[in-house]
Amino acid sequence: MAAAFFPAWLSLQPGARTLRAFSTAVPPTSLARTPSPRTTGRMSKSERPPRRKALPPRTEKMAVDQDWPSVYPVAAPFKPSVVPLPVRMGYPVKMGVPMAKEGNLELLKIPNFLHLTPVAIKKHCEALKDFCTEWPAALDSDEKCEKHFPVEIDTADYVSSGPSVRNPRARAVTLRVKLSSLNLDDHAKKKLIKLVGERYCKTTDVLTIKTDRCPLKRQNYDYAMYLLTVLYHESWATRPKGAPQSRVGLFYQSCRSPHSTKSMWLSSSPGCRDLHSGKAAWFFPFTWERGGPHPAKTTWLPLSPHQEGVLTLLKPRGSPSMAAVCDF
Amino acid sequence: MCFPGATGCPVPGAPCTSPLCAPRIGAARVRVGKGEKPVTYDEPHHIAHRKSCLSLRTGNLDGQDHAAERMVEDVFLRKFMLGTFPGCLADHLVLKRRANQVEICALVLRQLPAHKFYFLVGYSETLLSHFCKCPMRVHLQTVPSKVVYKHI
Repeated sequence: MAAAFFPAWLSLQPGARTLRAFSTAVPPTSLARTPSPRTTGRMSKSERPPRRKALPPRTEKMAVDQDWPSVYPVAAPFKPSVVPLPVRMGYPVKMGVPMAKEGNLELLKIPNFLHLTPVAIKKHCEALKDFCTEWPAALDSDEKCEKHFPVEIDTADYVSSGPSVRNPRARAVTLRVKLSSLNLDDHAKKKLIKLVGERYCKTTDVLTIKTDRCPLKRQNYDYAMYLLTVLYHESWATRPKGAPQSRVGLFYQSCRSPHSTKSMWLSSSPGCRDLHSGKAAWFFPFTWERGGPHPAKTTWLPLSPHQEGVLTLLKPRGSPSMAAVCDF
Repeated sequence: MCFPGATGCPVPGAPCTSPLCAPRIGAARVRVGKGEKPVTYDEPHHIAHRKSCLSLRTGNLDGQDHAAERMVEDVFLRKFMLGTFPGCLADHLVLKRRANQVEICALVLRQLPAHKFYFLVGYSETLLSHFCKCPMRVHLQTVPSKVVYKHI
């Protein structure tokens, strides 16, 4: 039975008809020898032709000017009988050399880039050119890019090994803008810098807003743009003349009905959370005006620890569905 | 040398905690013999010091998720391959993950005829892909005998 298999197996040329051939490591010295018995130890049956003889490696038949991207078209593990390089890798024994490539696990462990030779990359780029558009010719310098597109958005996508593509860190969005590219006068710029606090860097004149409160990246992007809009408009808003100057005051407003117009307006804005009913409501500063807070002139900012402490001290009655802290 | 039960130890029979004799680490080390024991390159000692890890995945990196699930899958894959290729594996498996797919690189001895190897490869790939719900590829490299690194 073994003899019947032998010629059929020998006639199987590597890489000809099979989709994948094994990488068979044959040390060069064994080619000169006659086929030796198997290592299973059948020395007594040496007159029988060996059942499993390895073919010579493919490296001996390779032309020097072959098309390498067709040998390694995709990322694949290292195959010593296919790579015609005498590489050695491994921690050598004392007075020894690193191990040869045949049966070398170290070469298997490391990721190889044999499929990304310059020729292969050029071929990929040629194939991808049909799907690309030209860079706009008018944007030929960094200053022009900054002038026309002053707002920079940074997002990150994460790839990890495993069946899941979800990564909670991918929802963070960072918005950067130079204040010099915004239309701000002296008072507006100072007020904006005071409002944002640590998010402004004086040396580079860059305002950085990092949002990751919402579960989706798109929502965080919308929230960041909303914050920028509100900050800009609020920094232009001025206190009417004659109004009392107060550093920090507390205005408490209790909403009897959770469905009143004020509460509904607040909860329809992004990033809102109502304390009592579980919907969203931010604590926001507003300017002292008669009649309570004006929705169009409010800025959304979370309470600072000091303000939260004042709120707990006063212990307002009723259902605290909203509270407001004013500044300036 | 202070060892348990020696005279002069503070508590005879108790484990020796003197700083003079460090505890012997026995995990993942091949016991040194008389010089006739052949060892392959990938005995687990010196992993990450002189040798790369046998299993490449992003869970090994700092702060990455799902490390435990991938590790459990790796243990299962190693056991499965050990049983599917009985007596044929020449060394430890190398498992590489690239995004969703897993590549199992194995060194095998030439114990079986080629058509049996092909069947086992297809069988492993199909079954493991269904078990782990991700594409699996098995890459075999045949060697005539176990590649000996040194004799200890």
